[in-house]
Amino acid sequence: MAETSTSEGRKKSLSTYQIAQIIIGVLFITYLTWRLYTVLIVEGVYGPDTWLRFAITGLVIGGVYAVIAIGYTLVYGILFMINFAHGEIMMLGAFAGYFVFEALNVVIIDPINKVTFSNAYPVLAIILAFLTGMIVSSVTAVTLERIAYRPLRTAPRLVPLISAVGASIFLQNLAQLMFSPQQRTYINPQALERGAGWTVIVNGNNVVIPYTGAFTFIVSIILMVGLYLLVKRTRMGRAMRAVAENKQTAALMGIDVDGVISQTFAISGILAGAAGVLWGIHNGVVNHYVGFIPGIKAFTAAVLGGIGNIPGAMVGGLFLGIIESVGPAILGIDFQLKDVIAFSILILVLIFRPSGILGEVLSEEKV
Amino acid sequence: MPNYIRNGLRSGFVFGIVIIFLILIGFTRVANELLAPLVKGTSQLPMGFILFMALLGLWAGASAAKRSPVLMGMPDTYQKWNAIISGLIAGIIGGAFVGLFIFVLGSIQTKGMDMRVYLAQLSPDAIKMLTLGRVAWAGAFSIWLIFVITGIAGGLLALFSDSFKLGERMSSSWKNMSAGIGDSAIAKTVNQNAVVRYILYGIFIIILLILPSFLGKYWNYTLGTIGIYIIMGLGINIIIGMAGLLNLGYVAFFAVGAYTVGLLTAPAPQGLHWNFWIGLLVAMVMAAFVGWLLGIPVLRLRGDYLAIVTLGFGEMIRVLVRSKALSSIFGGPQGVRDIAGPMIFGQRFTEREYLYLIVAVIIFTIFITIRLQNSHLGRAWGAMREDQTVAQAMGINIFRYKLLAFALGAAIGGLAGVMFASRNQYTGPEDHTLMVSVNVLALVIVGGMGSIPGIILGSFVLKGLPELLRQIEDYRLLVFGGLLVVMMIVKPEGLWPSKRRQLEMSDVDLPPETDALQVLEEQSSDQKLRGES
Repeated sequence: MAETSTSEGRKKSLSTYQIAQIIIGVLFITYLTWRLYTVLIVEGVYGPDTWLRFAITGLVIGGVYAVIAIGYTLVYGILFMINFAHGEIMMLGAFAGYFVFEALNVVIIDPINKVTFSNAYPVLAIILAFLTGMIVSSVTAVTLERIAYRPLRTAPRLVPLISAVGASIFLQNLAQLMFSPQQRTYINPQALERGAGWTVIVNGNNVVIPYTGAFTFIVSIILMVGLYLLVKRTRMGRAMRAVAENKQTAALMGIDVDGVISQTFAISGILAGAAGVLWGIHNGVVNHYVGFIPGIKAFTAAVLGGIGNIPGAMVGGLFLGIIESVGPAILGIDFQLKDVIAFSILILVLIFRPSGILGEVLSEEKV
Repeated sequence: MPNYIRNGLRSGFVFGIVIIFLILIGFTRVANELLAPLVKGTSQLPMGFILFMALLGLWAGASAAKRSPVLMGMPDTYQKWNAIISGLIAGIIGGAFVGLFIFVLGSIQTKGMDMRVYLAQLSPDAIKMLTLGRVAWAGAFSIWLIFVITGIAGGLLALFSDSFKLGERMSSSWKNMSAGIGDSAIAKTVNQNAVVRYILYGIFIIILLILPSFLGKYWNYTLGTIGIYIIMGLGINIIIGMAGLLNLGYVAFFAVGAYTVGLLTAPAPQGLHWNFWIGLLVAMVMAAFVGWLLGIPVLRLRGDYLAIVTLGFGEMIRVLVRSKALSSIFGGPQGVRDIAGPMIFGQRFTEREYLYLIVAVIIFTIFITIRLQNSHLGRAWGAMREDQTVAQAMGINIFRYKLLAFALGAAIGGLAGVMFASRNQYTGPEDHTLMVSVNVLALVIVGGMGSIPGIILGSFVLKGLPELLRQIEDYRLLVFGGLLVVMMIVKPEGLWPSKRRQLEMSDVDLPPETDALQVLEEQSSDQKLRGES
């Protein structure tokens, strides 16, 4: 009864917030419809081939976002804190992969034809790079949790967040001091050369599906499925879900809560490391700043899908990737401004559906 | 495994890893330069580096021996051996890590490979220093030996300091220090006695008035920068310290202020040539408006979301002003040049006059802050910060008060932006990076949220110290990041916390329930006692 009376009360007088919400919503939808109409029907500048190209770019980048976003969501689901340094953990993984490729490129297997190790055994080289990246990131994540987050577990919410911001700055500058601020280029095995790819003819135009893109997308899908199975099917996953639900009860059931939290950080680190190597293989450049923007975007993706929700992070990542590549074309703005689109989407989602696409409505305590 | 062996292993391991990182970030080279004046080094032997290593070895040994519990009733010799063995193990293990690392570096070096391609700090000179100018294995072995010896010495030191109660005295004095300047007797008198406080303020203002005339252009400029950061600290203090809303994109408001005044007064790209003072007012209003506008959608969110959205917003503004597509409006990557400033006798303000202006603005802002703190607004914010739900139940319109906090904080941020842009006569996208937000946040947190002297102290520490210590400037951000983490763990209320905040934050240390109950019981028993008397 109390509920009905409050909802009636709300119906009578709209708050400033709701009015603002409605105005922004109407404006946004009108603008979007007008732009879509202009771009698709009136102007028709982009043919199907261009749209396909956008979709490919979006899916590839979205896959990477999704993998990073899962790391955020896992940690958030358990500790209700944003692991702000997640992007930097990914950056360290990308550097680890870079060094492995670099080292394997120095090792020459066939001196006559100058075949390097990474070209002679590309699969092995790639696996090695991924393993190293995952280990480096995972160790960083676990160490970070142990040093910077564990002592603050009972502190007010702002405290661990600031600690995480500090850790992020620390790691970024550590990388800058160690590896210098210069940009480094990934040396992929020839089988995964950047720029090369299958060519599809659409609408009389060539559309290239890059090998690295396909590789990135497939690996990210495999990682996502693997993680989903891990969380849903294994004992470890069950323990993680139990801790996410209620730490005290989980502890009473004989679950080692600290251990599970460490494992969660390890898994999120593994995913971040893999994402870092994928980023390096596909985009080709690594520097100390490379984790920042993907980190924020992935967080956006996690919020978009509903933070704390693993399938949500996957959907959110792919969705964000596509929006980012298609958005500038639809809105008719400069492609430089795609970051602005991502953040605007974040703000819009938070206005209209703070729980995200797939997220359940969380209690006040959790949000 | 006995405790003392495990402690030795652990300490050696941690120190070994940390020293390897110090080598990788090139800090050993800086330490060599910093410590060199203390010991007479020769051109062959980098004595500063050796001293640095010896100090770290002492520390490693001491910390290993310290961890071992003092066993009551055990003979003295037993404890002595315990301490020495843990120190020795720490030295051996830590030294082994470092020695091995140096050996590897030295061997690669002799093969003629330039490691700087991959690891920026490992120049041939740096490696020559690490190996003490010898062959790789000899240098590595010497370092190892130094570490082992100092490890044992550290263990003994810990033992002696124990028997002289040195450690306790040290730790208690450290505790006193870390209890904060806010707790010291001077600060107490300052806090409690209004007359003393006003006299101190008066002296401070007089010093501020006289000082700039004696300082050169450079120091006036630096002090001005510190002053601008104080203004920003005071502004973000309204948002974070008073209203408890974490804002990681404060630079957005700074940028709005700087760009508004720039676009209104500069000849290009708009060519408006407005008067500076009108531009200043418009910029403040504009910043407040942007804060309000941003606040409407995001203030419904709590803590973490708010942090990320504001962070994104800060980056968004930078991307917008830098973008070539909008360069006809904002000037693009080149920024805005020839921004007008205040005039005196037909002349532009010099660095010194800007310093006066900035100090005046700081005093104005402090005045506003104090007035806000004591008004119903400040109390509403305090209630909101402590418990939003309860505040709402008390009839506080949370949304409106949050918006107000955002708008006011933004206006002050805009004011700081105006000062910055007009003093430099230029503003560009690179003035408004994320690091500005982080610096401001860091200085408020280091100084103490909600505390005006804390903010001033924080800006001097974070912006002033690097000016004095040019050698460690490269490590400033690294130290920043580490400092934020350490502060949060050790002293989340800041160096000079406000009384109220100290009380709030002290809750953190109480384990849940039991202690709170005890406190309640004590309070009630106190009341009973009072009632009886």
